Amino acid sequence: MAFQWFSIGFAWASIIVFIAVAAYKFFRIASMPLNLRWEVYPVPHETGEKHKHGGSYMEEVDWVKKARPASKIAELREMGAEIFFLKRVRKHNPHRIWPYSMAMHWGLYLLLGWIVLLAAAIWIPVLAVVALVIGVASFLLGMTGSAGLILKRANKKDLNLYSTPLDYFNLGFLLAIFAAGFASLVVDPGFFGHLAYIRSLITFKPSPVPYAVTCTFFLLQAFIIYMPFSKLIHYIMKHFTFTGTLWDDAFNVRGSGKSRRIERQLSYPKNWDAPHFSADKTWKEDVQPASVEQEKNE
Amino acid sequence: MNKKTVCFRDVAKKEDKPLACLNAQNLIPLDALKETPSLQPPPDKWLETYDFSLDGFSNFDRPKPNTAQEREKFVQGFITGMKKLLDSQSNWTFFKALKLSMDYCMNCQTCSEACHVYLSSGKQEIYRPTFRSEVFRRIYRKLFTPSGKWLGSLAGADIDLNFQTVWRLLEMSYRCNICRRCATVCPVGIDNSLIAREIRKLFSQELGVAPAELLNKGTRKHLETGSSTGMTPAGFKSSIEFIEEIIEEKTGRKIKVPVDKKGADILLIHNAGEFISWPENPAAFSILFDAAGIDYTLSSDLVGYDAVKYGVWFDDIELARVALQHIEIAKKLAVKKIVVAECGHAHKAICVTADRVMPGERTLSDMPRESCLSLMHDIVKSGVIRLDPSRNDFHVTLHDPCNVTRMMGIVRPQREIIRHVCKRPLQEMIPHGVENYCCGGGGGFAVMDTLNFSEWRNNIPARMKIKQCIDVFQDILDPDIRKYVIAPCSNCKGALRDAINNYHLKDDLGIHYTGLADVIVNAMVDLPEPYLEWDPEF
Repeated sequence: MAFQWFSIGFAWASIIVFIAVAAYKFFRIASMPLNLRWEVYPVPHETGEKHKHGGSYMEEVDWVKKARPASKIAELREMGAEIFFLKRVRKHNPHRIWPYSMAMHWGLYLLLGWIVLLAAAIWIPVLAVVALVIGVASFLLGMTGSAGLILKRANKKDLNLYSTPLDYFNLGFLLAIFAAGFASLVVDPGFFGHLAYIRSLITFKPSPVPYAVTCTFFLLQAFIIYMPFSKLIHYIMKHFTFTGTLWDDAFNVRGSGKSRRIERQLSYPKNWDAPHFSADKTWKEDVQPASVEQEKNE
Repeated sequence: MNKKTVCFRDVAKKEDKPLACLNAQNLIPLDALKETPSLQPPPDKWLETYDFSLDGFSNFDRPKPNTAQEREKFVQGFITGMKKLLDSQSNWTFFKALKLSMDYCMNCQTCSEACHVYLSSGKQEIYRPTFRSEVFRRIYRKLFTPSGKWLGSLAGADIDLNFQTVWRLLEMSYRCNICRRCATVCPVGIDNSLIAREIRKLFSQELGVAPAELLNKGTRKHLETGSSTGMTPAGFKSSIEFIEEIIEEKTGRKIKVPVDKKGADILLIHNAGEFISWPENPAAFSILFDAAGIDYTLSSDLVGYDAVKYGVWFDDIELARVALQHIEIAKKLAVKKIVVAECGHAHKAICVTADRVMPGERTLSDMPRESCLSLMHDIVKSGVIRLDPSRNDFHVTLHDPCNVTRMMGIVRPQREIIRHVCKRPLQEMIPHGVENYCCGGGGGFAVMDTLNFSEWRNNIPARMKIKQCIDVFQDILDPDIRKYVIAPCSNCKGALRDAINNYHLKDDLGIHYTGLADVIVNAMVDLPEPYLEWDPEF
C-alpha cells in the first residue's frame, strides 16, 4: 500500500516539477535582455510574393511609412511543419536520421495521446480500444526511433564524434520507456491494470496494478522530471530561437515598449576590458559620439 | 588522400603541428580549370614566430608567447571574457541567442552540409559548423554548468583548457564567414555562426585581439581618421573631384556630386573602398541619381563617407560607435533618410543589427535606413530614365550578398533591375536568393590579408562561389564569350576580384564581375559610349 501511495505521489510530483521547472526556464529566458536584431530569411510570416521568395518589407522604398502585413498563421504553419514533420531534418540531414527521428518524435506525441485516451476511457470505456491502437503505434514507433537513433549515433563517425554519453543516456531512457510500455500492453492488453492505475491517480485511491504497468509509468514520470533539466526540452525553446530571434524582424520605434527596454539596456555598465574601451562607462556613454554629449551639455 | 581524423581532445594538443593539413586533392573539384591556386605550407621563418597550429594558415601576426606566464595570462583573459559573454548585462546584445545556441544543440549535424567552407574543404572536420561550437560548448560545460562540473566527460565536458585550446579556438572563429546558412537549416533554430561571432567578440572586447584589418586598421582607423581605408575628409573630397572627372570623361556630362548638402532627402553612404578600388561604381550612382532627379548628398564628415561597420563581425561596441556616428551625421545634415550604397554588411549593420543599439530619438522610425537596391529598382521601373537592355548584351548571373538577401530579405529588386536592363535572361546560380552561398569574403575575410590568410580564403571559402560561377555558365565557357557576375556589394566584389584573378576566370573562361549601378548606367540610352569596360583602367 505504501508503494502505491508513493506511486501516486511520484506521478503528481513529476507533473508539478515539470511544469514548475519548464515555466521557470521559459520565464527566465523571456525576461532576458532584448537581443539585437538577428533575423534570418526566409521569415515565414511575410505574406504574398515575399513569402514565396524569402523577401521582407525592406525590399520596399520608404518601408517605415508602409503597412507591413504579417501572417501569424504562416508562422504557425512553418513551426508545425518542423514540430510534426521535422521538415528541416528531412530536407537537410545528410545522415538520413529523419525516419528514426520522426518515429521517435511521433512515438512521444502518441504516448501523450495514449495517456489522455486512457484517462478519458475511465468515463468512456470504448476509448480503450482507440487507446490500444494508439499505444501499440506509440511504443513500436518509439522503440524503432530511439533504437535507430542510438545505432546511427554509434555507427556514423560524424555523429559519434559529437555524441556524449549523456546523449546516449537520453535516447536509452526513451527506449526503456517505450519498451516498458510495450511490455505493459502485452501483460495487460485489456487495459484493466492501466485504467486502475490512472483511476488511482485521479481519485487518490490506491489500487494494485501489474508490475509492468507500474514500471512503465514510473519510468515515464522519472523522464518527465528529468526532461526540463536537459536539452530534451528544446521543443519549448523553439519559441525563442525561431519566433524570438531568427524570425524577429520588428524594428525599433521611438516610445514603444521595445524602445524603452533598449534604453534601459543601454544604461547597463560596460565592463569589458579591451584597450579600445573607456573604463567605468555605461554602454550608452561609451558608444555615443562626442557631438551628442556636446549637444546635451549645451 | 586520407584526411586525418580529428577529435575534440586534439584541440588541446601542445604542439605546433597543425590539427588539420589541407591538401589540394581533397578540395571540391573544379574540372573546368587547368590550374587552381597553390596551397603551400607557411615558410619556416613564419613557423618559428607565429602560431599556425590549427590548419597551417593564420591572419594573426602576433608572435607566439615565450613564457608560461604569458600563456597563462592569455588563458585567464579568455576565461574572464567567457564569464562576461555569459552574463546577461555584460553581453545584453546577444546573451539570449547565445545561451540558447549553447544549451540546446542536439548535435544532429543537419547544418553540416549547409556550410560552404566545410564542403569546399572536402569536409574537413575542423570546419564543420558544429566543431568550433562544440569545442566552445565543452569548455562552457566544464567551467560554467552543473552537469559539466558533476558529470565531466559523461556530459561532454572533457576538453583541456590551455593556451593551445584557446588559440585554436580563436583561429577557428575566423574560419566561418558568418553567412548563417547553417542557421536556416537547423531544426531547433540554433545559430552556430553566432557562436563563431561571439567567440570573436570575446577576444576583441576582453583581450583586444582581432585581425588587424578589422580592429586596429579597421574600426579604430575608421573612427580616428574617418575611414578604414585611411581616407581622410580631405582625401574624400579629392576622390569626389576624381569621380567628377571620370563621369565627364566617360559620359561627357559635367555633374557636381553633392557633398554636405543640408536638407537633402537622402544621405547616400558608400563603402569607401569603392572610391579607391572601383570609383566607377560611386560615379555610376551619381550619374543615375542625377538623371533620375534624386535629391541626395554624400557626407565629408569624419566617418560619414565610409559605410563600413566592421564591428558587426566581431565587436558590438565598435559596431554601435560607427552606426551612431552615421545617424548623427544624417541628423546634422537634416536628411530624411540614409540609403546604403552597394555594401552588404553595411546594409545589415545599420538597417538591422544596430537597430537596437540606438537610443529612442535615433530609432529607425526617426531616421529610416534603406537599401540602394530598392531605390534603384524604383528608378528603373519608373521610366524616368531611358534604358536600352541591348546595350548590356552579355551573359549575366547574380551573386547574392548574404547580408542583403539572407539577413535582410532583399531578394527581388536586384533581379527585377537585371531583367529590365539586360538583354539576356538572368542565369541564376544554384542555389541562389536566400539560399545562396557566400562569396568567401564574408565575416571580414575579404579585407583580411595578413600572413597566408588570403591563400586560405581563395582556396577554401571562395572556392564554392568559383564553382557556382563556372557551373552557371558551363555551356558557354569560351573565353571570347563575355560573362558578368553582378555583385552588388563591395566586400563580395573584393573577394570575387581576388578569386577570379587567382583562378584566372577572366582570361581562361571569360568570366568577370561588376557592380549593379554600373550595369544600369551602361544601359542608359543617352550615354555616348558604353559605361562598362571589360578591361577598366582604374
